[in-house]
Amino acid sequence: MTDLNDLPNPVPAGGKKHAPIELIRDLESTSGYWAAVWTMCTMPDVHLICDAPIGCFNLVATAVPDYTDAIPHIHNITPSVMREQEVTMLGTAGAVRKAVEALRRLHPDKTIIVVSTAESEMISSDHRDWLSKMDPPVPFFWSQSLEGDEWEGRDRALVWLWRNFGIENARLKIEKPQDGLSQFSILNSQFVNVIGPTYGCFNSPSDLHEVKRLIEGAGGKVNLVYPIEATLKDTPRLAESAVNVVMYREFGEALAKELGKPYLFAPIGIRETTEFIQKLGDLLGTREQAEAFIAHEKKTTLAPLWDLWRGPQGDWFATTEFAVVAGRTYTEGLVRLLADELGMKLQFASGRPRQPGEMNNIQIREALHKKQPAFMFGSLNEKIYLTEAQAKATHFIPAAFPGAVVRRSLGTPFMGYSGVVYIVQEMVNRYYDLVFNFLPFDNVAAAGQLREVTNPLTAASRLVWSEAARAQLDRQLEGIPWISRISASRELRAQVEVYAVKHNLREVTPEVVERALAG
Amino acid sequence: MSTMTVPEGSLIIPDIIETRNNSTLNPQPSPLPAGHSVSPDYNLTPQTMCPAFGSLRVLTRIDGVQTAMVTDTGCLYGLTFVTHFYASRKSIAAPAFGTKELVAGNVAEAAIAACVEASKMPGTKLIAAISLCVAETAGLTEEMLPAQVNGIDVILVRVPAYAIHSHPEAKDVAINAILKKYAPAKMEVTADGVEKPLTYDGSNEEEEALRRKVIMLGEVFPADPISVDAVLKRLGSGLAATLPSRNLDDYKLARRVGAIAAVHPFYGGSVATLRAAGVPIISGAPVGPEAAYNWIKAIAAALKLDASVAEQVAAEERDKCRAIIGQFPLKGRVLVCGYEGNELLYARLLVEAGAEVPYISTSIQKSLYTAADEAWLKARGTKEIVYQKTLEQDVRALDTYKPDLVLGTTPLSAEAKARGIPAMYYTNMLSVRPLFLSAGLAGTIQLIRDALERAPRYEWMREFFDGPRLAEPAPAQVNTMD
Repeated sequence: MTDLNDLPNPVPAGGKKHAPIELIRDLESTSGYWAAVWTMCTMPDVHLICDAPIGCFNLVATAVPDYTDAIPHIHNITPSVMREQEVTMLGTAGAVRKAVEALRRLHPDKTIIVVSTAESEMISSDHRDWLSKMDPPVPFFWSQSLEGDEWEGRDRALVWLWRNFGIENARLKIEKPQDGLSQFSILNSQFVNVIGPTYGCFNSPSDLHEVKRLIEGAGGKVNLVYPIEATLKDTPRLAESAVNVVMYREFGEALAKELGKPYLFAPIGIRETTEFIQKLGDLLGTREQAEAFIAHEKKTTLAPLWDLWRGPQGDWFATTEFAVVAGRTYTEGLVRLLADELGMKLQFASGRPRQPGEMNNIQIREALHKKQPAFMFGSLNEKIYLTEAQAKATHFIPAAFPGAVVRRSLGTPFMGYSGVVYIVQEMVNRYYDLVFNFLPFDNVAAAGQLREVTNPLTAASRLVWSEAARAQLDRQLEGIPWISRISASRELRAQVEVYAVKHNLREVTPEVVERALAG
Repeated sequence: MSTMTVPEGSLIIPDIIETRNNSTLNPQPSPLPAGHSVSPDYNLTPQTMCPAFGSLRVLTRIDGVQTAMVTDTGCLYGLTFVTHFYASRKSIAAPAFGTKELVAGNVAEAAIAACVEASKMPGTKLIAAISLCVAETAGLTEEMLPAQVNGIDVILVRVPAYAIHSHPEAKDVAINAILKKYAPAKMEVTADGVEKPLTYDGSNEEEEALRRKVIMLGEVFPADPISVDAVLKRLGSGLAATLPSRNLDDYKLARRVGAIAAVHPFYGGSVATLRAAGVPIISGAPVGPEAAYNWIKAIAAALKLDASVAEQVAAEERDKCRAIIGQFPLKGRVLVCGYEGNELLYARLLVEAGAEVPYISTSIQKSLYTAADEAWLKARGTKEIVYQKTLEQDVRALDTYKPDLVLGTTPLSAEAKARGIPAMYYTNMLSVRPLFLSAGLAGTIQLIRDALERAPRYEWMREFFDGPRLAEPAPAQVNTMD
């Protein structure tokens, strides 16, 4: 058996120690290649050729967007289909050229763009030169898939689209075009662009719908929603607007900066939404209309929050813990709304892209195995960690990809005033479920009509653990290495619950834990 | 079809002689214009999931197996996603692997570090290091990995998508890697000096009982092994296991059973490994009356079981299948265009149940193991069978054959539905139903009948979204996020 005490940093043959290998669990953000596809393919007059083996094509164009964006497949992308001979001998230029020629015949009205992938970058397949000499030239996008993540990938793709398809054709250049980007005149002082959703942006249809509503409420007119509602030919129209709204902190700001107009980030939470409407009003010269809109919203869209706050539901917030693992926009937004404004207890939050000090998935997994919040806003990864810990008392609320979840309805926003009400409503309804499951009922199944035996663990699922009892159990587990804690916690928990069921107890208190584990 | 030779050794294809005669004596003239499905310009989009997924599907579902994936972030994200959707809810370990690591040249260190992380999971029995495109290109090899990490076995499973062309075939790669580790051939030299594979370790009762049993090789719906086992028991045999299995111990049995029934045609590598270990292989699957009859008899012949009992059981099973078909016959033209590698089996069932299946396509390559079903189908009206197919070929088949129902990949099914044709995603709908023997027939036939009857809904929905039908069906080139 190999001695691996030194791992994961073994000394290589040369004797020089490498930098430590960074480990990943259940990767949460994808690559620049995916970002390029998901950004550019939203525009129907684009056709991408990805310089890729078949797998890179299928995952990004069919297998994943099937279950995230809920589209059968992305139709305007074709793989070069790299095979062994291309990787080892021929290179991919021949395969790319074949695809370009065929697609030009099939789609003469579309702009064909060639995008690199991790594997094509690996074998240094840079096609920029020869593609630029084709007639007409074919644009080539080096997606930097071996370095960056999807967020910087989208950022780069958007700026690249503007520089290649927007800036030259912007209709409204004034006297000194050479002075650059801030020289576009304003076509319409009320126009507002939204820079934001691409494919693979969690919940974006609802959020976009709400952001448009807020823009119009504040007195603006939505001009171009780029790229999701645009064509490539629309790109120059980005210059027409007085203000840009950037949907996400994760990407899009770089393009807004190049456009040289004032920009705002789309808001989450009561205060930020209010400020957003006010600032937009100031920028558009419609402050009065914006204030009137806010006042009206308080009586309409936002009224349920005021009612829930004053009602019995509002009392629950301060006693309930939550955690967030999501995109930076959602993470910061949910912390603002739930912790700062509603007073809920934050167990932990980790945004994407991660900032220094924020937990990675290995640490998040460990944290969730130790202790579970009442509400977990996250991706499928957190759902898996909760499953590993058998955390049945935690309500998981999808708030990020990866994960199969359809969010195409316009009625599930997290952003804006509508988002405040939707999130709070979701949580309150899950509280109601908790209350429902706590109440006694006539068990027809267990009464012998449907099933013969009452499983004590089924009964145990109706037990309520007091916070103190849970803490008591956690203390029991503290001495055990974390990796074994999941199974240990399951066993100890079962032991306590079987004891409680046998003694006809409905609530598990610290005393019950003590007696059960002592016996 | 090219002339086929009966393979040497222990391969038994139930109806090989009959179909070979059919195909050579009565070659099917192609009714299609020349070059119909081979226009190179328009075959741009091969249809398969990422091939590596096939291996992950097999490996992550085995209890006690942890995977360590060595690849770039885009690949890792996508494969983790489909694994978590279709295979298992297991956390997946990987090293960060990008330019920095490549420049440093530490692909092996990266792989080992991920194996160490994977080994921390309690109850781990085997770590599968999965080498994907980028790691393969960087030159990760078996010699670079330790045989064990923290006392746990490590195997390298090499599945670069550029070299393995479909996800069914990557299932074979994974199974074969485990078989080579746990069921390697053992050779013995007989009294007359001939070296031959040793197929059992000792002459004891347990071993002898195992040698009367069969392992089924092919991923099937959980009800299928139960009905297969029941039929085998009547022959005096039984099912020892089904591979891929969730139990690692099942793989260790593979060398010791009396026969392997390779019910899917894409397990060439595993079959070769087991044949080298001296285990008889039976290809084909008990799907539909005729194939069920032949399959049962082939099993009995391979295991040298009582032929008259086999004849009786096989005939009974055939008659039961026929009775079910008589009760629920199919009528209509169906295209079978999945990418799971078992399309020919489904097509046989549909044809025997009365459907017309003019076109079949699949992601796997043509091989010895597809030959019998291909010949059988072509003798019964199937005009085209396309291996390693592209989306463009499938879409052209919609134009050519004007089907009543399409069992396709997601892009093809979407295209069919856009034209108002009933369609479903082959993978999701057909893999979740039993298929084998009489027990598997009814559910599958009912599914197809129901789909055919839903045709008016598909047309209504098409018209609602797309307006009255034009002379030419409009292409479905729309940005669906609009």
